[in-house]
Amino acid sequence: MHHIRKQLFTVAVFTKLSTRRFFRDTLALFFGILFPLIFLFVFGALSGNDNVTFTVALLNNSKTAYAHNFAHQLGHEKTFKIDKDAGDLSQAKEKISRGQLDGIIVLPPDFGAVQAGQSHPSGTAQVLYNKSSSGTGETLTSVLQGSFRAANAKYVTTQLPFSVQGKELNQKNLTKFDYTFAGLLGFSIIGMGIFGPVNVFPELKKQGILRRLRTTPIKTWQYFLATMFSQALTGLVAIAAQFAVALTVFHLKVAGNYFEIIAFTILSIFMILGLGLAIGGWAKNERQAAPLSNIIVFPMLFLSGTFFPRFGMPTWLQHVTNYLPLTPVIDGLRLLTTEGKHLTDLGPQLAIIGVWFVVIYAVAFRVFRWE
Amino acid sequence: MAEPILKVTDLKKVYDDKPAVDGISFEVEKGEIFGILGPNGAGKTTTLEMIETLREIDGGSVTIDGIDVASSPVKIKQIIGVQPQTPAFQDKQKLGEIIEMFAAAYGERVNVKEFLDDVQLGEKTNAFAEQLSGGQRQRLSIATALVHSPKVFFLDEPTTGLDPQARRNLWELIKMVRDRGVTVIMTTHYLDEAELLCDRVAIMDSGKIIALDTPQNLIKQLLKRGFKKEVKVEQANLDDVFIDLTGKALRD
Repeated sequence: MHHIRKQLFTVAVFTKLSTRRFFRDTLALFFGILFPLIFLFVFGALSGNDNVTFTVALLNNSKTAYAHNFAHQLGHEKTFKIDKDAGDLSQAKEKISRGQLDGIIVLPPDFGAVQAGQSHPSGTAQVLYNKSSSGTGETLTSVLQGSFRAANAKYVTTQLPFSVQGKELNQKNLTKFDYTFAGLLGFSIIGMGIFGPVNVFPELKKQGILRRLRTTPIKTWQYFLATMFSQALTGLVAIAAQFAVALTVFHLKVAGNYFEIIAFTILSIFMILGLGLAIGGWAKNERQAAPLSNIIVFPMLFLSGTFFPRFGMPTWLQHVTNYLPLTPVIDGLRLLTTEGKHLTDLGPQLAIIGVWFVVIYAVAFRVFRWE
Repeated sequence: MAEPILKVTDLKKVYDDKPAVDGISFEVEKGEIFGILGPNGAGKTTTLEMIETLREIDGGSVTIDGIDVASSPVKIKQIIGVQPQTPAFQDKQKLGEIIEMFAAAYGERVNVKEFLDDVQLGEKTNAFAEQLSGGQRQRLSIATALVHSPKVFFLDEPTTGLDPQARRNLWELIKMVRDRGVTVIMTTHYLDEAELLCDRVAIMDSGKIIALDTPQNLIKQLLKRGFKKEVKVEQANLDDVFIDLTGKALRD
């Protein structure tokens, strides 16, 4: 017990000193905090506050007043551009096959009717989309779910025996900026987590600083843990700065819970940092570290939704890139931040991060060299 | 005679089939300053690094204070202090923090100022490591190696590249460490340094120890073999002139 406490004391002091060093280092501050902010300004200005719009056909087969209202309202929403020419299913299907439509929304005959024994209208809208653009279809579905959620809250919440008071969810739809923002958060996690250790470790080895530490009883896990904690602290500061800019300049509306966002961010920082520890810990010098880190980082930057939303990619590519380490990080951050999801909804993302975490650290421990 | 603090028996290291250290044996008594001399490539540093747990031992054995180095490296690390050939520290770190960090590596909390005072750096507690001169860096490194009160202190060519004042100052420091009961083992290729500091020296060449005795005995044996210097020894040398003119005090 005493022994463990001593070892954790070592971790605590190393964490403190390494964090302090970061905030004294102008170069680290620039690349860790200012650089992602510059990206945020550039990409934020590019994507502005424009809504992502979906061109859809709306086939209303229901005669209920509710369905009529819903169709009318959908026509006024910025997210949807309704194609009036597609009057029936076959026309709509043909247009979708020609790529003129993103999807078809079908309201079945009983949509909006009050079912027996219930006091409120209900119904299930269908979203039809092409297999080749399943990403767009899924996004469309989730956007539609967002607007139903608001409606559901109005009808149902107060009647449920165990529910808390119904909280109105964000009525704002997903904007391009929402996608961009989550991607940029991912970018800054990558920047600090991978390029940090990859640049620093070979230098520490060259100067014999790690070698000198090795003559002390400090263990690799203690050194890793201190690096992880310190990275989480500095990373959270960087992420907080981006939130501050996004909230004030780009009118980001955070629908989720900040504690969940912080918890998820820390987990993501730990996992991604593992890649940096593995590369930097393995490399004997910069000449080994630089190419390897580029091979690992660049595909992720382009394929994990950092700068380009993934829903525009072909389906097969989406399936493959789903499993890159950075993808669940960016998806998870977006779901928590702008879509109002909770950690309990992020099963797939947490599972992928968890598996990568174990794999990456197993490798990092194995390949770490003190000199 | 008491049990030796360091016992090296038939120690071997092989690099690419070539023996870098070729079956050397020696013992060091508690409280000694023991020197390992030899030309570059003689195997001094490799020997030291095997004893310090940094290199795998290919043959033979080393015990420090009765503990076997190969089988208990963690225990060994607790009782040794190491001064590398070229001490380096991370930038943006204050001297006080560096002492704090090394103490923490042993799970200890120490009075930082006291350790810096010992090496005349007390006034620089809040200075950054990158602002130090070569001699100051050596002194800081000595302080970091003593934070956990080691029993044996290893120095690898500590005075290489230092000016005469800094060298003399470092010698005083090494004697101070010895006077506190710490056994000192150092490599050097300055013979004046070895003659002045070391109680006994081992001379290495091509991975073997070719002589081991007190500096005085080694010189006596040489003279017995009929050795004569060609030039008569001066009462002073250029080193003495330099120190006389520029003073013995430490300059930073």
